[in-house]
Amino acid sequence: MAIHERSLVEPERILRKERLVIDGVDVSGDWNLIILPRVINDYDLDFAKDVMNSPDGKTITQCYQCSYCTASCPVHNYWDERYNPRHFIYLARLGMIDELQKRADVMWRCVSCHKCTHRCPKGVLVEEVLKAILRAMAKKGLVEEYPSKKFDKFFTESVLEYGRIEDGELLFGWIEKQGYRVFKDPILKKPIPFIGETPEWLKQLTVKPLKSMNIGFLVLNAKHMLFHPRTKNWSKFKQVLRKVMQEEGALH
Amino acid sequence: MGVIGKRVAYYPGCSLEGAARSYDVSTRIVAKELGLELDYLEDYNCCGAMESKNVTFMGTMLLNARNMSLARRQGHNVIVAPCNGCSFSLQRAEYFLETDRAVYDRVNALLREGGVDPLDQIPQTYHILEWFYHEAGPQKVKERTRKPLRGLKVANYYGCLYTRPHFYARTYAHAGGQDEEARPRKRETADDDEHPYYMNALLEAAGATSVEFEPMHTQCCGGPHSLSDELVSEKFVMMILQTAKRNGADIIATECPLCHASLEMYRHRLMMKGVPDVDVPAAYFTQLLGLAFGYSVGDVKLKDNLSDPIPVLKKLGLA
Ligand code: SF4
Ligand code: SF4
Repeated sequence: MAIHERSLVEPERILRKERLVIDGVDVSGDWNLIILPRVINDYDLDFAKDVMNSPDGKTITQCYQCSYCTASCPVHNYWDERYNPRHFIYLARLGMIDELQKRADVMWRCVSCHKCTHRCPKGVLVEEVLKAILRAMAKKGLVEEYPSKKFDKFFTESVLEYGRIEDGELLFGWIEKQGYRVFKDPILKKPIPFIGETPEWLKQLTVKPLKSMNIGFLVLNAKHMLFHPRTKNWSKFKQVLRKVMQEEGALH
Repeated sequence: MGVIGKRVAYYPGCSLEGAARSYDVSTRIVAKELGLELDYLEDYNCCGAMESKNVTFMGTMLLNARNMSLARRQGHNVIVAPCNGCSFSLQRAEYFLETDRAVYDRVNALLREGGVDPLDQIPQTYHILEWFYHEAGPQKVKERTRKPLRGLKVANYYGCLYTRPHFYARTYAHAGGQDEEARPRKRETADDDEHPYYMNALLEAAGATSVEFEPMHTQCCGGPHSLSDELVSEKFVMMILQTAKRNGADIIATECPLCHASLEMYRHRLMMKGVPDVDVPAAYFTQLLGLAFGYSVGDVKLKDNLSDPIPVLKKLGLA
């Protein structure tokens, strides 16, 4: 007998017997597969409230578990079937935080393509709900620093500081954060992309404009790296942004 | 046609003034040729892209509301953005401001506190492709074409957020469930949600041939993770490039600087690894239109493209 979404059942709870006799009746053959039951008593019903209380998470209540979102999700289909938006919503609503935590290593892989939201017949903002779940977990200290969360923060800090971002700084700043050694010029402390331990493929890519003598492109990017593009009337607005982010627990 | 207006607020977003300047330059060329006018949004800030929204909800509302307020100050009801990420962020803010009164009031109070005019009206956001299609259209492109892109086989890549999700982009053709009243507002300018065709139509009007590219035309490139989850991005880009190549494409046309960067970066990585059928270069659709309108390779800044589409174009006598 096939088990739907088999990846959701722990292997140790699936029993398969060659010969099986129950109450004197031989049920071998098709019926030889048993999923052991389990009793759950460690759940936290307040967890779903946390999600529901944010404007982007409140549609979680509309979900009727049809799984259309999972069926359309590229991360589920092409990457890892343990990534399952319908299931995450289910677990969040039941307050089964430990089960969510077990899946924290794939939950962050969502690429925000919004196919799930687009296809959901019940009008759930699926992607937003998933991110709200992750935020609620982060607030409780239930998820570790995973790569995309680190990057999101890194990005947002740059926006907060200057009002705008700069491609080169973002790229090389991030590479440095990943533990690579990025060479910086001694005076302005700006990264020099061609020197240092940058991954080989990226190094080649940064040298490309130099090879094709695309001076205009290089000058523009160098200029932006030296004088970070910034929004002018920013400081007062920055304070307000900082305030709301603090309220949401996104800044410490 | 003529639903959006000939003169709009232009929100280029950070990348168009940095690494994607070729998109900015070629967009201005195309707009000028089509008789449309872009009013640069002065002193704008980053929209928060796909990243900040995972960190803070209110913060991203504010970032986008500030840009909307600037547009209102310049006298506009319409903002046009050439980036899928930017137009998504603005449309997302539009959605929450329109459907959630509490969010709207709070945002306005905070704008005032931050020294920005509160919103008297919420401007509408369109992707620049929608604007080109509806204000000028294939007919106008045909009239302006001096050097048709004859023989060029194009895979038109729209990326994920151009038509999705329907709540924000208001593309409802196939989306299920919601009845008419429950939809915040329907949009007559919206492209088809599952089979977008505006870019196909414009480039075909300029003489190019579109190749079969479904379902990869709206498949995610892994963009939001391109710096933090290289493996997923690489796999998605591989699927996109191979589908294009195997269907005979000479070039991939893009309409988003994030998609474009992701495609170019990972194409390079895949080629270094020796993965087969991934060598299709990418160009912004505006660069291709610019060529068709008689501008040179230098004018549309084709040298900026790291995937180097010039040899392919040269071979066909288009550059
Ligand atoms: S598609 Fe919508 S209703 Fe169906 S399982 Fe996913 S979120 Fe729930
Ligand atoms: S937004 Fe995330 S969950 Fe939704 S379909 Fe895309 S990858 Fe899957």
